[in-house]
Amino acid sequence: MHRLPRSATVIPVVLLFATGIAAAGGQAPNTQAVPRTPDGKPDLSGIWQVMNSAAWDIQDHAARKGVPAGTGVVIGNEIPYKPEALARKRQNYENRAAADPETKCYLPGIPRIMYMPYPFQIFQTTDTVTMLFEYVHATRFIYTNGMPHPSGHIDWWMGDSRGRWEGDTLVVDVVDFNEETWFDRAGNFHSEQLHLVERFTPLDRDHITYEVTVEDPKVFTGPWRMSMILYRHREPSLQLLEYECFTFDNEFHAPTPSR
Amino acid sequence: MTRRTLVRVTASVIAATMMSATAARLAAQGPPPPPKNPPPPDWIDPRNPPKEDPNWQPPRTRDGQPNIEGQWNQASDIITYSIEDPEAYRAEHIAISGQRAMVGRPIIDPIDGKIPYQPWAAKFAAFLHEEHRKPSKPQYLDPVSRGFQEGVPRISYQGAFQLHQLRDTVLITYDYHHSYRVIPLDGRPHVGKDIKLWMGDSRGHWEGNTLVVDVANLNDQTWLTIIGDFHSDALHLTERWTPTAPDHIVYIVTVEDRNVYTQPWKLRVDYRRQKVEEQWENAVWEGNMLGGLPQEFWGGAKK
Repeated sequence: MHRLPRSATVIPVVLLFATGIAAAGGQAPNTQAVPRTPDGKPDLSGIWQVMNSAAWDIQDHAARKGVPAGTGVVIGNEIPYKPEALARKRQNYENRAAADPETKCYLPGIPRIMYMPYPFQIFQTTDTVTMLFEYVHATRFIYTNGMPHPSGHIDWWMGDSRGRWEGDTLVVDVVDFNEETWFDRAGNFHSEQLHLVERFTPLDRDHITYEVTVEDPKVFTGPWRMSMILYRHREPSLQLLEYECFTFDNEFHAPTPSR
Repeated sequence: MTRRTLVRVTASVIAATMMSATAARLAAQGPPPPPKNPPPPDWIDPRNPPKEDPNWQPPRTRDGQPNIEGQWNQASDIITYSIEDPEAYRAEHIAISGQRAMVGRPIIDPIDGKIPYQPWAAKFAAFLHEEHRKPSKPQYLDPVSRGFQEGVPRISYQGAFQLHQLRDTVLITYDYHHSYRVIPLDGRPHVGKDIKLWMGDSRGHWEGNTLVVDVANLNDQTWLTIIGDFHSDALHLTERWTPTAPDHIVYIVTVEDRNVYTQPWKLRVDYRRQKVEEQWENAVWEGNMLGGLPQEFWGGAKK
């Protein structure tokens, strides 16, 4: 965009339109092909997974040993850290081998679990969108029945999710996080004041655009956004299995004897 | 013949000769005595359950399945501490904690309410029962206490859960440790035998008003109780979930494991409907403090 639009109110509309096109890879959504529930909402049920390297680093990155290169999922690539927070991010990166909470096998939080390299399954009813993750059998219950977030701040690893439909987009507001989780293996982090607005927009039967707006006044100077695509698993025999992360380390798991 | 083979052969010979003796002993034994401690007023005794109305028909889901959706919890007063005799095994625990003595003895077959262990396994179970008070090694500490998933059928008598019925799938989401089970009803086969899972691989179908679930691919890492009742990875379960009244499901699971038990045995849990509540996070592993236990406890296990 070379020129500023005359009216400031145009900006968000234009931006949304532009990112929508970018996320769809230049294709307009094929809403005819989107499966629907009996009440006419898009039916997101199925087994989904990203195909990107955001789990390692949500920003642009060249390949490192054991890390595939990737164009980042952060729109505009830059994350507006406050100066002291940027210093901590750099420290996290240096210490990531031991400091990354993923190495402790903790619940990885949101949005991180959405783009880890494990499948997750969505079950959808009129009042709840349930997400079950293969990774550490994590769950998300996204209530779409109009009930608000519980009062007060609650420290949860996976936050509290409340959803609503805007046309064909499931919009999810997530708060009540703790400060223990990261965004990726590159040390990007947040505080307990993290607030997410996720937007799940089906493109067609087998693709969902997943966009998330991130706010955290303790860590960032303003909101920033990520965008990526969720792909439906079409393998007929595929099902969720288990990745019980914390059972693999002998420090915690001497095998239980059965004879 | 190596020592290990000798032990195995000897064990199987003993098992074979003991089988008939065990059967005779069981036939001679009656059901366990009634509870010493008072059960809760709304207790459903698995040996004396309420009479079922044979004419009652459950409501149906949109696609015609018997409707068992909702939130449920056991009314059988079972505690995962012990399924054979929680009053006796928990005596010390109750004395220290001041908690109520729970009385549920859910094993309905064999009639004496005991797990029909093969002789070697009875010996090992007795060893683990003894160890549970002060485990000498981490592997003798209850796997759930170490932060791992319950496995099936233990999760069936742990606490509240929600049943969700979707097209071709029954989904169970448990309060404890955000565990879940996805039960396909589309007739697909189990996953390959080399895939072992903490919560097993479940396949369901309806027989009349009963949801029958075949559970296979279970690993050998879970215990049935805190005190160490165990199984091998040959464990195979057949669960029968039958709604018998608007707010009542009868759950009977047949437990088979040719490596550990002398016969298939059955465990009954009665579920009562609860008000549906939001399921809030129940993080378990994240509170793990095992790493803080002294080095000598871990012995060779800790790096």
